[in-house]
Amino acid sequence: MTVFIVDDDASIRDAVANLLETEGIPTRQFGSAEEFIATWRKNMPGCLLLDVRLPGITGVELQEKLRQLSVAIPIVFMTAHGDIPMVRRVIKAGAVEFLTKPFQKEELLDGIQQAFERDTEQRRQGALLDSVLSRYRTLRPRELEVMAQVTEGLLNKQIAANLGLSEITVKLHRRQVMEKMQAASLADLVRLAAMISASVSGSSYTKV
Amino acid sequence: MENAPTFNNSPWMRYGVRPLAIACFFIYLTSLCTLILQRIFPYPFLFLFFVAVMASGWFGGWVAGAMSVALSTLIVQFFFVPPFYSFSVSQAAGPYFFSYIVCAALVSWAAASRRHAEDVIRESRDLLEQRVQERTAELQHSNQELQQSERNLRELTEAIPQQLWRADATGEIVYCNSHLLDYTGRTQQQMHGSSFFEILHPEDLAAFLDAWTAARESSDSARGLEGEWRIRGIDGCYRWFLIRAVPQRSDSGAIECWYGTHIEMEDWKRAELALAASQAQLAHVARVMSMGEVTASVAHEINQPLTAIVAHAYACLGWLKAANIERAQTTVEKIVQEGTHAGAIVTRIRALFLKGEVRRTRESMNRIILDTVRLLRDESIRRHVRIRVSLDSDLPLVDVDRVQMQQAILNLAMNGMDAMEGFPTGKTELLIESACGEDGDILVRVVDHGAGIDPGFITRIFDAFFTTKTQGLGMGLSISRTVVEAHDGKLWASSNPDGGAILHFSIPAPQRETGTP
Repeated sequence: MTVFIVDDDASIRDAVANLLETEGIPTRQFGSAEEFIATWRKNMPGCLLLDVRLPGITGVELQEKLRQLSVAIPIVFMTAHGDIPMVRRVIKAGAVEFLTKPFQKEELLDGIQQAFERDTEQRRQGALLDSVLSRYRTLRPRELEVMAQVTEGLLNKQIAANLGLSEITVKLHRRQVMEKMQAASLADLVRLAAMISASVSGSSYTKV
Repeated sequence: MENAPTFNNSPWMRYGVRPLAIACFFIYLTSLCTLILQRIFPYPFLFLFFVAVMASGWFGGWVAGAMSVALSTLIVQFFFVPPFYSFSVSQAAGPYFFSYIVCAALVSWAAASRRHAEDVIRESRDLLEQRVQERTAELQHSNQELQQSERNLRELTEAIPQQLWRADATGEIVYCNSHLLDYTGRTQQQMHGSSFFEILHPEDLAAFLDAWTAARESSDSARGLEGEWRIRGIDGCYRWFLIRAVPQRSDSGAIECWYGTHIEMEDWKRAELALAASQAQLAHVARVMSMGEVTASVAHEINQPLTAIVAHAYACLGWLKAANIERAQTTVEKIVQEGTHAGAIVTRIRALFLKGEVRRTRESMNRIILDTVRLLRDESIRRHVRIRVSLDSDLPLVDVDRVQMQQAILNLAMNGMDAMEGFPTGKTELLIESACGEDGDILVRVVDHGAGIDPGFITRIFDAFFTTKTQGLGMGLSISRTVVEAHDGKLWASSNPDGGAILHFSIPAPQRETGTP
């Protein structure tokens, strides 16, 4: 886990890096938002320690840009003078913490700790979703139809009538779905379906 | 007979036929009378011939006189001198006849010359009369022209869309045009003899009288007065006018009368006041905003090194705990660096208060004060504050930055006007004085009659951001002090014994080259 420090003031970057080094936290420094975007890759775990005022793309703009790019790296903001509307805006947009310079060591470490936890959780969730999605992609078209109707709470008889199949065939497809999705119960399958519909857009899920 | 000299101008007629006819007529008449009388009285009536000669000379002139003398001589000799009816003259009658000729010639000459003299007199009298008539006609004509031109001029004064007046040397109005009458709602008779001062706004009266006196006592005889003052209208409202008046002076330089014009500038003035007010507001907003920005930038600039220092200090603690002395040392060095950097930022921001380079030139402090008062004019009118200036004309010139010095005086004056805010109009006077100090320093005093200074604040009022006003920034007096001290001067405050405050500053005079402004 690395702290990516983005601040145009080299002395601040240097000092924060020095402080985090005493805690054994690795850091990487960037003088601008552009520099960070150019360097950062998805396989780099950690959090962003971001100054609000930056030359070029500002901290707030970088947050927006990352959201658009679906980059979920947690952000800890820092600024010399944060006004309340701005703080609300960035926190609402998902920032972990907002530090006012000069900040205390505990504030910084707390923020970074939270951000690290969020990153770990996000990465875990991401990995889980990836496996669910890969399992979901192995379903055949008829199985997808059956799964959609099952998770909507329809009975086998109703599904058979809807799809013009025999009840036996529906039961076979349903068992196949449970097996492929590695679902232990119907409740488990509904949870997996909800995860999929949250990641992919809902409409594409129901239409499949 | 009166027209005889002009009857006929031909010489032959004038000196031949006419005199002869006249002479013959009178002699013939006399001869007849005498011959008839001769029958009645035994003595000859020769004196009748003198009458004939005289009449001929009188009516016919020299020539007729001479002719009648000759004719009468012949007649007398023939009829009345013995021997009668003969042209010969007896020895005894000789002297008698001779004396007759002499007397007749004398009578003729006297009559003719008398007549001639009278003719000459009459001629010259006629000529004179004619001349008088001609002159009279000319005068009448030019008088008419004069009346016409006066009428034209009067119509012109009515055609000009301005108020015009003429006043005598004491300022009493003698004439004013209908625009002024319509505006003030008075008649010509009411205006006549009334003082011009009566229609002026009481607040403007003092300034007007100053200008009036200055114009009257000016060595430049053509100098008039000009200014923007308020005049009361028929509705009782005062409106702004550009008032100009020029004196007409006699050869000795004494003022004979004044000619004045008023140009209404109420709309313009209103717009100007509104503009000034919005400008002042804008300036205030701009000042507040720039101060806000300065504060923000100060905070930001100072915060950066502070943040670094705090972070480094924590790191240093961490390294010390970990017994990593080497890293702790380098971290402390960085703290020193950052601290020094923060100090430099503070110095730079303080230098910002005196923006730009100080450009000292040799200036008259009185001129600077007067220029500043001009800048304050609209503001003072808006606030109903009268600014009075009392200047020492023997001040030496000083080496100062003109703009900064104006700014300093302006701030002091604005402070004084702020202090009088809400005080009754009649009492709000701001006095700006200049004087020469004992050691040759130049002293400037700004005296107000406002609320005065709380004794507890008297040492703090020049501090930056110190203010007792809800709207104030606490920068004005602080800037004034910075400017005055940059000129090696001193700025201090004291209480005005008449109420209010006095702000003083002194500027040392340069060592050499003194002169009057």
